[in-house]
Amino acid sequence: MIEVKNIQKKFADKVVIEEVSARMEAGRCNLIIGASGSGKTVLMKCMVGLLNPDQGSIFYHGNNFTTMDTEAKTLIRKEIGMLFQGSALFDSLTVEENIMFPLNMFTKDTTGEKIKRVNEVLDRVNLSGVNKKYPAELSGGMKKRVALARAVVLNPKYLFCDEPNSGLDPQTSLVIDKLIRELTVEYQITTVVNTHDMNSVMEIGDYILYMYQGKKEWEGTRKEIIFSKNQRLNDFIFASEFLRDAKDMRMLEETGKIPNERDMDQMTRP
Amino acid sequence: MTLLSDIGRFLLMLKGMFKKLENRRMYSKELMRQCTEIGFGSLGIVTIISVFIGAVSTIQTAYQLVSPLIPISTIAQIVRDTVILEFAPTLVCVVLAGVAGSRIASELGNMRVSEQIDALEIMGINTKTYLILPKIIAAMLMIPLLVIIAMVLGIWGGRLAGTAAGIISPNMYDKGLTSDFLPYNVFFALTKSYVFAFILSSIPAFYGYHVRGGALEIGKASTKAVVVSCVLILFADYILSALLL
Repeated sequence: MIEVKNIQKKFADKVVIEEVSARMEAGRCNLIIGASGSGKTVLMKCMVGLLNPDQGSIFYHGNNFTTMDTEAKTLIRKEIGMLFQGSALFDSLTVEENIMFPLNMFTKDTTGEKIKRVNEVLDRVNLSGVNKKYPAELSGGMKKRVALARAVVLNPKYLFCDEPNSGLDPQTSLVIDKLIRELTVEYQITTVVNTHDMNSVMEIGDYILYMYQGKKEWEGTRKEIIFSKNQRLNDFIFASEFLRDAKDMRMLEETGKIPNERDMDQMTRP
Repeated sequence: MTLLSDIGRFLLMLKGMFKKLENRRMYSKELMRQCTEIGFGSLGIVTIISVFIGAVSTIQTAYQLVSPLIPISTIAQIVRDTVILEFAPTLVCVVLAGVAGSRIASELGNMRVSEQIDALEIMGINTKTYLILPKIIAAMLMIPLLVIIAMVLGIWGGRLAGTAAGIISPNMYDKGLTSDFLPYNVFFALTKSYVFAFILSSIPAFYGYHVRGGALEIGKASTKAVVVSCVLILFADYILSALLL
């Protein structure tokens, strides 16, 4: 479980995050959503320690991460896996070497055991047989899946995903979302996903934190989001006319999912 | 202010490198990789430069030594001392600042921009120790070796050009090489090469590691790294010469 209390972050005089608090439970997909520039990436970077907040605290299972010394932070970081927006795979290493990197660095396993573990996680993300390929030889979706495999290879307690669907087609996005959800439930990971992909919100959002201009504007579940009366949230979530119509028709309230054209046809058919 | 702030950040970067290693074997592997890239990767250009510098030095010294009172073997002495004292350490390191320095800056810059450094940080790895320290150690191990190779090849290039152009016979050249030789000159050249190796690896590492932005900024950082390294090498060359000679 991760708890964020009154986090504030400024760059020069510009306040990027203001008094944000949230509680993110284990075994659930916790989503941070918001428009570009709303501060969600900065919040995530503060949570993992890539940026130091100016004010407030972050607790990992009750331990205050913000006041820890470097060594204690390093121990927490060893329990964190992170999927970056651009995958952040090491270009000069093969897929196998990329995934094996954390194992080489932090375990004393034999080479055979490491290769076995690499194959297990690659199989888990449905990418068997690409061990010897380089990142440049993979598609965007495959890179994301390799990065996800690397993020979970050490069985992390916390998984952070920064815009996991950016640059991916809707079908591949769904595959990545499903994988994140399955891994979260399977290993009881506290997963934090930073996204503005509405399919993800509806597909995996167990807890949703909506950020608006650096502040927490709304929080709730994906079911609650449909009934929310928050105007800013509704403008953000139901940005297209299509989605607004769907909401008006109360279709979302019935299905809990963003409808596709066929559902709309069925609803409007006499 | 920017200069002071850069110096401060540079010193903090150096301080940050000396932390406990997570896994010695992985660091040794990275050190070996860097030794190969900096050492063997620069061997070709060092060979070419050294041979030609020695050759040109011989021809130009002979061109200027017109007095019949000066023995012809003096050409070899002058070539030997200029190659050992200046050309091998300084010129080779200025070229290496361009070759190895720009590679270090662009490698780290690319890793920064593509979030690979962040990925390592998240894994709990001290990126300064893992990425920068092996580069500096590798440079300080390999560059003095390259300088020694450059000395030998430069002197050999001079001998080759002198004989080919009929300026000096091989025997006379060898005689000149061995007369009035000061081993201290080699010590001085190696001292310079250690200092230059540190400059040409740490300065590009600093600029590459602190890149912000995208591809354009990587290019700018790489250029700045090479320019600053070259200026500092020349400045250090002057200081060391004034202090040690």
